[in-house]
Amino acid sequence: MSDCGDSDAGWIFYKDRPDWNDIKPVPEDDGITPVVVIAHSEKFEDVYDYFRAILQKDEKSQRALELTKDAVELNSANYTVWQYRRELLKELGTDLRSELDYVESVIKISPKNYQVWHHRRVLVEWLQDPSQELDLTAEALLHDPKNYHAWQHRQWAIKSFRLYDKEIEFVDSLLSDDVRNNSAWNQRYFVHNNHTGWSDMNVQREICYTLEKIKFVKNNESAWNYLRGILLHDKRGINGNGVVTAFCEELYKNRCRSPFLLAFIIDVCEEAIKKNETNGFHNVERAKELCTALATKYDKIREKYWMYLRDRFEMYVCVNGENSQ
Amino acid sequence: MNNEESIILANRQHGKYFMRFLNVLPASLSSHDTTRVTIAYFAVSGLDVLGSISTMSLELQNRIIQWIYRLQVHPDKDTGDMSVCGFQGSSTVNIDFNSRNKLYRCGHLAMTYTGLCILLALGDDLSRVNRKAIIEGVKALQTEEGNFAATLSGCESDMRFVYCAACISYILNDWSGFNIKSATDYIIKSIGYDYGIAQCPELESHGGTTFCALATLSLTNQLDQLSEAQIEGLKRWLLLRQIDGFQGRPNKPVDTCYSFWVGASLKILNALHLSDYANNRSYVYETQDIVVGGFSKWPDTCTDPMHTYLGLAGLSLIGESGLFEIVPTLNISKRAHEHLKTLHEQWASS
Repeated sequence: MSDCGDSDAGWIFYKDRPDWNDIKPVPEDDGITPVVVIAHSEKFEDVYDYFRAILQKDEKSQRALELTKDAVELNSANYTVWQYRRELLKELGTDLRSELDYVESVIKISPKNYQVWHHRRVLVEWLQDPSQELDLTAEALLHDPKNYHAWQHRQWAIKSFRLYDKEIEFVDSLLSDDVRNNSAWNQRYFVHNNHTGWSDMNVQREICYTLEKIKFVKNNESAWNYLRGILLHDKRGINGNGVVTAFCEELYKNRCRSPFLLAFIIDVCEEAIKKNETNGFHNVERAKELCTALATKYDKIREKYWMYLRDRFEMYVCVNGENSQ
Repeated sequence: MNNEESIILANRQHGKYFMRFLNVLPASLSSHDTTRVTIAYFAVSGLDVLGSISTMSLELQNRIIQWIYRLQVHPDKDTGDMSVCGFQGSSTVNIDFNSRNKLYRCGHLAMTYTGLCILLALGDDLSRVNRKAIIEGVKALQTEEGNFAATLSGCESDMRFVYCAACISYILNDWSGFNIKSATDYIIKSIGYDYGIAQCPELESHGGTTFCALATLSLTNQLDQLSEAQIEGLKRWLLLRQIDGFQGRPNKPVDTCYSFWVGASLKILNALHLSDYANNRSYVYETQDIVVGGFSKWPDTCTDPMHTYLGLAGLSLIGESGLFEIVPTLNISKRAHEHLKTLHEQWASS
């Protein structure tokens, strides 16, 4: 991408432009012992020689603004160029709406670049107008549904400007496309945590939603993690929700041996033990048995971990034994 | 088992690979123009892990040291202001300013951190580092939220730079520019419902940012601020990242660099031994280019210095023979860390 401009027909170097002949270019001074030297194109060197010159002069002009565009095109990760561009926008009173369009076009080329998203955020803050942010990030997420930058910008916009209203629908559509999209599950939690809240009814509704998704794909860590997340807000805890525990036992009875199911039942056992609420299904022996099953059969890559966990349950036995004496 | 035997470390090729990056890079890498110090760090620290620092000529080692020091931003000559002090990542704007544009010539936390690591790996005594000024530069970058921005001139702030700030403070043995309490609060707020840690509060848990957070807690002696549930939850979340190699987030593809990010996080929690070394090792080796050296993120894709270094560092964590030991928190060799400890002793006695 960076040196594609070299083939630009009609590109005129800054050093050959009459309207720039008042500027003395400032070459990069890398000292007498440079290492990791990048063999930049002639165009790159020319543009940055002039960029250094206007930066040093502190020139605030339309031509400087145009120059920063060329500098961005050659390296959109140069944070100094972006920062100077923002100074220029302010000083020149440039129409910030057209700047939004411009940065959108750069985001489309470099959607995983920190600097472009930062520039976007500053513009939205200046304008106090987040009206395009949901569409912009939705577009980026269409191409890469797990783009961390896009999610970060989206959460920032939603939080700063209270744009929660239609977010659950957006999350739903992403999860229908890919129920394993962990970013979308995280966003679901974000919306409930900040907007819908964790009323008993909402917790129950989310549990039902998640169990449906687990029925559909049982071996999906994202959904199981989310289930645990919601249960943090169920005052009965992870072991006290009958719908959830019955669902798990039903899966188990039907021979589902997803490591995530077994791990979940282990966690239910642990909480039951800690709260002194053990029963026929949830007790130390069951937990140990499931750890062994994971270690030897269903999740062998984590054999050592599950045996470590099994040992921890042994300790519970000792502690409980002492207590009962 | 055949697989086990056929994987060998192309030590010599990797050494040559790093040496090429220390020399000249093609124009296609122009987008790395402002972060050349990090490339130098991957190369120098990579040579260190390979046990090959001594194969570099002294002339080259000195050249690198000179080059790094040229990128140090010193206090303002007129006002004495130190808020922009640190190291720049390249000489792109390494120019003199007379105007209010001075702040464009400013240090960048990731470059200061990796620059210091390079100096340590090369055995420099840091005597030309303006320690006081750099710590003031760090201080100027901590936000009210507790996290850090990378530079003073228009930059996002997040977990990556909390980590860089912690490493710099640790290396310079001066925490006066780093508010440990507010950084710890920020980290704890960034723990997700799945117990992984994100770039900022409420974002998705991520292997890279979990590393930054845990390494910071370790360097600041704050790991005990985590509850037992959080520690056990983190161990589980991190171990679940292993497929054969490691992924950075649930349901994402495996990538060589997470053998370090996730491996080091587990090591910090004393739980790396609970992972499967053989699978981890063979995945990393699948991404090795034995002809020209280097590692890539996925098998049969382009190698790059970052994945090459982190692949080696990941292998070192699981005790690969032929590699120097890595200190997981700082991501430098134990050898470089020992050198740092002698410097700390010298500073303490002077």
